[in-house]
Amino acid sequence: MFGLAGPNGAGKSTLIALMLGFLGPTAGAVRIHGLAPRRFVEQHGIGYLSELVNIPPAWKVHQALHRYALLAGVSANQLHSRVARSIAWLGLEEHRSKRVRQLSKGNLQRLGLAQALLHDESVVVLDEPTHGLDPVWTQRFRDIVQDLRRPDRIILIASHNLDELARLADRVAILDHGRLQRVVEVRAGDAPARERAPYRLVVARGAHIVTEVFPRAKLIGRDEYQVTDATVEEINAGVAKLLARGALIGAMHPLHSALEAQFREAVAGGATSEESR
Amino acid sequence: MTFPATPDITLPLRRGARLGRYSLWHVRDYALNRGLPTLIVALLFGYLGVSAMLMQLGSPAGTPAYLIRQYGSVEAARTAARHALSAGFVGTFIGTYAFLAALIAMNGIVSNDRKLGFYRFLFTKPVTPAAYYGAEFLVNGACVLVLTVLLALLYGAIIEPVLTVSLLIVVAAGYLCYAGLGFALSALSRWDWLSLVAVAGAADILWRLYGESTSPLAVLLRLLPPLHRTSELYAAAAHGMALPWQSVLWLAGYGAIAFAAGLAILRQRRLAFN
Repeated sequence: MFGLAGPNGAGKSTLIALMLGFLGPTAGAVRIHGLAPRRFVEQHGIGYLSELVNIPPAWKVHQALHRYALLAGVSANQLHSRVARSIAWLGLEEHRSKRVRQLSKGNLQRLGLAQALLHDESVVVLDEPTHGLDPVWTQRFRDIVQDLRRPDRIILIASHNLDELARLADRVAILDHGRLQRVVEVRAGDAPARERAPYRLVVARGAHIVTEVFPRAKLIGRDEYQVTDATVEEINAGVAKLLARGALIGAMHPLHSALEAQFREAVAGGATSEESR
Repeated sequence: MTFPATPDITLPLRRGARLGRYSLWHVRDYALNRGLPTLIVALLFGYLGVSAMLMQLGSPAGTPAYLIRQYGSVEAARTAARHALSAGFVGTFIGTYAFLAALIAMNGIVSNDRKLGFYRFLFTKPVTPAAYYGAEFLVNGACVLVLTVLLALLYGAIIEPVLTVSLLIVVAAGYLCYAGLGFALSALSRWDWLSLVAVAGAADILWRLYGESTSPLAVLLRLLPPLHRTSELYAAAAHGMALPWQSVLWLAGYGAIAFAAGLAILRQRRLAFN
C-alpha cells in the first residue's frame, strides 16, 4: 500500500490523472506493468475513487452501481449479487433507491468507494478517500482498505491526512511543487530510538515534579506539558522516574508522527535535488 | 464482512458484450433525456403545421369549385389539396426534425461527461471512450429512427400516411450528417451544440452564396456539411419521388466521416481538461 502526501497544489491529483491516462505528461513517460496508462486501464481496469465524486445526479444508487459493474466486466450472473454486496458493504442499503443528487456528501463518498471496489482490480487508486466521511465511516474505511490488501494488488492512497497514511500505507511519497521530495518507509519502524522529537505529556497527579524530571518541558495546558527534543530512551527513563516518585501519567505520545516530521521537513525544506525531478 | 466474500469464478464479460448490454442503459438515457424533448419539440412543430393545414383545407363546403371540377368530386379535390399541403409540410418538417433530433441527441454526448467529470468513473473501467461513445451514437441514431416511425404513424392517423422506406432513409441520412458533425464537435469542444448550430448555419449560407463558384477557394466548402443537397432530398421523400441517391450518399458519407473523425479524436485526446 503506497501513500501519496503533499500540501494543496503539490500535484497529487495531477499525478493520479497521469497514472489513469486522463492527462498526458509534458515530459517523460508513465507506465503501469509496462503499459501506457490508458492501455492498461482499457485492458484491465483500475479501482478508482476520485477526490470529487462525479456521478450523474439523476442516477439511482443501485442503478449507478449496476452500470459501473457492467462496464467493469463483472460477469453477468454475478452482477446483481456483486452490486448488492457492495451496497451492504458500504452501508448504502437505505439509500439504494435514492438518486445521487439526494445523497449527503458522506454517502456520496461511500457510493464512490463502492463503485471503485465493485470488481477485483489489481490496481486501486483512492484520492482523498475519507473526504466527507464521519469518524465512524473513516474507521470503517480503514478496515475496508485493510481487507483489500493482497500480495498481487497495489493500492495507492493520496491524502492530506498524514495520520491516515501513517496507519494504512507501507511507504509514503511526499510531493511538493510537482516534485517528489522523498519516500518515507512508514512500516520500517517509527522514529529511531535516538532521534529527538517533541512529546505531549498529560499527568493526572504529580504535575509539580514534571519539570524536575524533564527540565525542557513546557506547560501547554492544565496538567499538560510539551517535552521538546527528547529521544525515546529519555522519555522512557523520565516516565519511569515520574512513576517512581508517585506521579500518574494520563497520556504520553509524540506530538508529530514520524511521517509528519518527515513531511514538515520535506515541505518546509523544499528539497529539489536533480534526483527527485 | 470482507469483500469479495466469494471469488469470481465465472469469466468476465468481454468488452463487446459489456457494451452491448450497456446499450440498454443508453436506450434508457436517450428515452428520458433526449427522446422526450425531441418528441415534445416535434409534436409542437407538427401541431403548428398540421393545425395550419387543417385550417387551409377548411370544410368540404368551402372547397373551391375549380378544384372540384379538376378532380371530379369534393372528396377527390380535398384529398388532392390535402396531399399537396401535406407534401409541402413534410418536406419542411423533415429538415427541421433531422437537425433538431441530431442536435438534441448529440448535445453534450462527450463534452458533458468531460465538463462534469463523469468520465472519471466511466473510464477507469476497462472500456475505451471511443467504443463507449460510439455505441451511444449508434443507439441514439436507432432511437431517432424509432421516434420517426412513431411520429410518421401519428401523422398518418391524422392527415395521411407518410411512412415509407424513402422517408426513413432521408431522415437517417439527414440525421447522420448533422449527428456525425455534432459527435465530432462534442469530442473536440465543450461548446458542441453552439458549434453545431454555427457550422450548420454557416454551411447553409455559404453553400447558397458560393455553391456555384468556380474559385479554387470554393473547394473549402467541401469541409462543410453538404446542406445544399438537402432540399431535393426532403422534397423527394415528401412527394414520394425517386430518391437522389447521390445526395443521400453525400449526406451519409459526410456524417460517417465526421463520426470517424470524432472517434479518432476520442482515441487521441486526453479526457481531462488541463
